[in-house]
Amino acid sequence: MRNGGLNVSSALPQNPPNDFMSIQIRNISKNFGKFAALSDVSFDVEGGELVALLGPSGSGKTTLLRVVAGLEFAEKGQIFYNEKDVTQRSAYQRKAGFVFQHYALFQHLNVFENVAFGLRVRKRSERPPEPQIRARVEQLLETVQLKDLAKRLPVQLSGGQRQRIAFARALAIEPEVLLLDEPFGALDAKVRKELRHWLRRFHDTAHLTSLFVTHDQDEAFEVADRVVIIDKGRIQQIGTPDEVRNAPANTFVEEFLELRPVTTA
Amino acid sequence: MAGTLTPFPTKAAPPRRATAESPVIKTVLVSLVLVFFGLFLVLPLFVIFHEAFSRGWEFILKTFEDRATVHSIQLTLITALIAVPLNTVFGLAAAWLVTRFKFPGRSLLISLIDLPLWISPVVGGLIYVLVFGRQGWLGPLFFPSDEMLQTSFLARFIYEHNIKVIFALPGIVLATTFVTFPFVARGLIPLMQAQGHKEEEAAMTLGASGWQIFTRVTLPKIKWGLIYGIILCNARAMGEFGAVSVVSGHIRNQTNTMPLHIEILYNEYPNTGAFVIAALLSVLALVTLFIKTYAEWRAERQLRAAAESAE
Repeated sequence: MRNGGLNVSSALPQNPPNDFMSIQIRNISKNFGKFAALSDVSFDVEGGELVALLGPSGSGKTTLLRVVAGLEFAEKGQIFYNEKDVTQRSAYQRKAGFVFQHYALFQHLNVFENVAFGLRVRKRSERPPEPQIRARVEQLLETVQLKDLAKRLPVQLSGGQRQRIAFARALAIEPEVLLLDEPFGALDAKVRKELRHWLRRFHDTAHLTSLFVTHDQDEAFEVADRVVIIDKGRIQQIGTPDEVRNAPANTFVEEFLELRPVTTA
Repeated sequence: MAGTLTPFPTKAAPPRRATAESPVIKTVLVSLVLVFFGLFLVLPLFVIFHEAFSRGWEFILKTFEDRATVHSIQLTLITALIAVPLNTVFGLAAAWLVTRFKFPGRSLLISLIDLPLWISPVVGGLIYVLVFGRQGWLGPLFFPSDEMLQTSFLARFIYEHNIKVIFALPGIVLATTFVTFPFVARGLIPLMQAQGHKEEEAAMTLGASGWQIFTRVTLPKIKWGLIYGIILCNARAMGEFGAVSVVSGHIRNQTNTMPLHIEILYNEYPNTGAFVIAALLSVLALVTLFIKTYAEWRAERQLRAAAESAE
């Protein structure tokens, strides 16, 4: 079990198991009109790793995550899952688990049906039979400790509960890649802390490769194996939390990290 | 994890508005509104029903036995049955296009959708006379000369199959569709704009196809806004007078819709027949109003839910 974000390098998988999905991001550039959201971004996420994309707002980190998911397409560059080129595939073919910043739960469906959605939309030949869907959803609701709320609608839940349902929904399709966009951004400080520990524990027990976006360096350093710092659409530094903190690569990283004191009780 | 159960934020009650107006002004304003309301809304409605029932049930039944009346009701229903589904599909497509994509000319398109609301319905009808009428652009095809019949295959086909647009059902449907075009789209655009498309994106990452996203996510999200638009569209389609009047030619038992039939009956002898059909149209309007209010209320709830989930 990890402790307050210190001694992180031990959590870095020295020999990542081969059957984990890895992600390769190669020379991605994307513009919105004349604004360069991403300029020549390349890095790898090793199988089984939990990587944080850290940067100020408007830095392009969410755009990059959406390009990896297939919700957004880059003008230049390629995305590989396990060395397989998925650049031209849409989100619905890539089937990466995606947790949205504001949860994006289906408002008209109850908690149970939200989680079951990904299984119910499968082709008839691939869809599990009803009892199996039930079992899987119930197991997921148990994992996020919300089994009692299965019949509730999303509007009847608190922020933290909605977030956990969003997790459960994304995990229902058994993705090998989990992408999270500011997963704790809309929650209060106490819930944030609880959920980020939970995320780390969950990542370690599940068969997942995860990439998550955050503007909060405490969150990034405490949870992630490696941190990718991004600003103005360019990567500024990649490294373990210790590496980044001990040897910031440039003045931006230095300033960005020092602007917010690195303290957690 | 019981500690994470933060209470759902409840909205504080809106502060009570202090009214600065003096009681006298308030009384005068309220009375003015009531008089206006009574004179222009309640009284006409009362007159219609009073006149319709003034000769008793037997007369009402007799009115509905008249072949021309029955035909006008049928024609109105057929017209609405074609125009409303068409505009539902158009409206959905238009709302989806302008809320989901950014492209040059987008705001112009939004304004164009509203065009039929700004144009006089008579002009709306006239457009089709100018296109399909005897003197219109396509007039030579629909009212062909002998020479035209010899040379043009299309003109011969239209002549042989007796296809008519003006002074026939197609013209009436075209004019009605034009006039009622904005209602579905206008009901949906603000709703779909407020809702955004995060839920659709979520569905996509879960492996849903385009059709599944539409039927399982988008349609339930916009359901009440859509119903609201369809009802409004239907009410206008059944009540349209101006545009239909220009293209129909007022041929009894052929191209007379309910509103046109009311006018003819009233002009012939200002007796109660016109009022009986007018009362029927009014009942339709009242039912529409009732359903509309309910749908509006539900649509607002949907909008509020969208705002809440996005906060």
